[in-house]
Amino acid sequence: MFPVNTQDLSPDVPNLKPFMASDLYHRRMANSKAGGLKYLQYGVVGSMSLNNMLCTRCCEGFEPNEKIVNSAGELWHQECFVCAQCFQVFKDGIFFEFEGRKYCEHDFHVLFAPCCGKCGEFVIGRVIKAMNANWHPGCFRCENCHTELADLGFIKNGGRALCHECNAKLKAEGLGKYVCYKCHGIIDDQPLKFRGEVYHPYHFNCTQCGIELDENAREVRSRPGFAANDMNELYCLRCHDKMGIPICGACRRPIEERVVTALGKHWHVEHFVCAKCEKPFFGHRHYEKKGLAYCEIHYHQLFGNLCFVCNQVIAGDAFTSLNKAWCHHHFACSMCDQKMNQKTKFYEFDLKPVCKKCYEKFPNELRRRLGKQHAAQQRT
Amino acid sequence: MSAEGQVVSCIPNTSKMSKAKKVLEEAREIQNPELDLADKGIASFEELPGLLNMMNITRLTLSHNKIKVVPPALANLTNLEILNLANNNIEELPLSLSSMPKLRILNLSINRLYSLPRGFGAFPILEVLDLTYNNLNEKTLSGNFFQLETLRALYLGDNDFEYISDEIKNLKNLQILVLRENDIIELPKEIGELVRLRELHLQGNRLTLLPPEIGNLEVTNKSVFKFEGNDWVTPIADQLQLGVSHLMDFLKSETYRILYGRYQQNKPQVPPPCIDKAKKASRIR
Ligand SMILES: [Zn+2]
Ligand SMILES: [Zn+2]
Ligand SMILES: [Zn+2]
Ligand SMILES: [Zn+2]
Ligand SMILES: [Zn+2]
Ligand SMILES: [Zn+2]
Ligand SMILES: [Zn+2]
Ligand SMILES: [Zn+2]
Repeated sequence: MFPVNTQDLSPDVPNLKPFMASDLYHRRMANSKAGGLKYLQYGVVGSMSLNNMLCTRCCEGFEPNEKIVNSAGELWHQECFVCAQCFQVFKDGIFFEFEGRKYCEHDFHVLFAPCCGKCGEFVIGRVIKAMNANWHPGCFRCENCHTELADLGFIKNGGRALCHECNAKLKAEGLGKYVCYKCHGIIDDQPLKFRGEVYHPYHFNCTQCGIELDENAREVRSRPGFAANDMNELYCLRCHDKMGIPICGACRRPIEERVVTALGKHWHVEHFVCAKCEKPFFGHRHYEKKGLAYCEIHYHQLFGNLCFVCNQVIAGDAFTSLNKAWCHHHFACSMCDQKMNQKTKFYEFDLKPVCKKCYEKFPNELRRRLGKQHAAQQRT
Repeated sequence: MSAEGQVVSCIPNTSKMSKAKKVLEEAREIQNPELDLADKGIASFEELPGLLNMMNITRLTLSHNKIKVVPPALANLTNLEILNLANNNIEELPLSLSSMPKLRILNLSINRLYSLPRGFGAFPILEVLDLTYNNLNEKTLSGNFFQLETLRALYLGDNDFEYISDEIKNLKNLQILVLRENDIIELPKEIGELVRLRELHLQGNRLTLLPPEIGNLEVTNKSVFKFEGNDWVTPIADQLQLGVSHLMDFLKSETYRILYGRYQQNKPQVPPPCIDKAKKASRIR
């Protein structure tokens, strides 16, 4: 956070002390009746002293009865008391003094007074120095909501001046978080959605039991069918579950549209999915196994009822053996492709079926090894 | 040269040759798309006149013959889905095979392959590749071998692999990987990325350690992991005693991760080969 009035020098006003710190400012402030400005003081100085007195500018003496300008004890010819920049007499006697020189209002502004970063006008009176520029208090506003920032303070956010609230909101958005609609703080945990806004859950209590709510609280439409949500109420999860609205077995949220009932639970249509590929069944046939539901492809992939040869789902009876399954057409010896049936005796070779005839055609060396391994397995 | 090796295409066994011709004629007559020519004493495709014009066939079974050479023109059978050349004397394959557009199952087990043709990995939809009992190793696989992304099952048992390329991770659909009885010294951690793997056969190799990533593989009632016959370091051997699921949990543990790191600094001695490969029938030239 940056203070509103910094001591920084404004870069486009050379050699200017901070305006508030200048002599001029102090004198202006001291002379409140003069509205902070200096006025000419005309005086007729007595003749006895006139001889010793000289004009501050031209160092000449004064004529008797001549109007002499007296400013803070210094004397001038009237025609010598002029703006250090344009050499014109001061209009309405108003001048500004800076580093011992006097300027007309116009030139003082041009030379020394700051311009507002918003409207481009001179800033007289209170200058807001912020964001490397000067501003009228009314011109320095939050770039998001346009609140005056002079007395609220501001936050610099990516080159923009923002009020605290807007800054929190934008920061939360950047973090992918919400800002509580009630306290305007960032919601670090799960937000509670209620009547279209988001909140810290702890601002609310359960309509039924009064317990302070957490993120599991449920918003219930008290007038089902009405689009407006300003009648909605909040309940804690326990009270909500007692109200008898079906809860989806997947997302644990109430089901207000179509309910799918399967596996002893209720589901949102789009949440009743294959346990493997997570695609919704949308009314397509599902296969149940050990409390989970699967699509046809994954049921067969996982539970082995795709034929090892044709890789198609086996319709009708399957031959299952050796960690595999075969359709009626494809249950055959892996060496000679001769069909086999339940009664056919076969050997196992790398969990492939080999008919007796084929096994006997294996190289002797291989058969001996397989025989030994078989015997070893029998022992264990 | 063995006596077997001398029986080449010019002097075929006439009785068996006529059997093969009969099968071909029958198949042509009834338009049977599945051709069974197993155990017909066939030494050469020259004994199968007209076969390479039978465009309709979807399965060709030529196992238990004496075929040494596979003609490039076999790839003309563009409807072939299953090609079974198991238990022959094939030493080399034509490059053209890899272009067969519908080939899903290729059985080349029990042959005499010392290498695969360059570009072998180009099969567009190959699902099951059986190379069991040949003479292949990591240096003689084709450079693009692991581009066979559609493979469901890869059988490499009874070959001469010492290492498996980390490119195996490209075989995303692999459900079955058999590496039984090779000379494998080390496995790539990338095997742990084969999320669909449900059969892994590692018996009879020279393994001492498993990459912790193997623990990522899912253990279900449909998965089979075979680890016997390796020279496992004691902590792995102990877990195997308790069971495969214990081992898989152990591989996932922080304890094993640290242990594995230590073993990497100070690798266990590589055990000697345990099988006398010289006796393999696939070695006969
Ligand atoms: Zn002036
Ligand atoms: Zn302004
Ligand atoms: Zn709040
Ligand atoms: Zn309650
Ligand atoms: Zn749901
Ligand atoms: Zn699915
Ligand atoms: Zn089938
Ligand atoms: Zn058979």
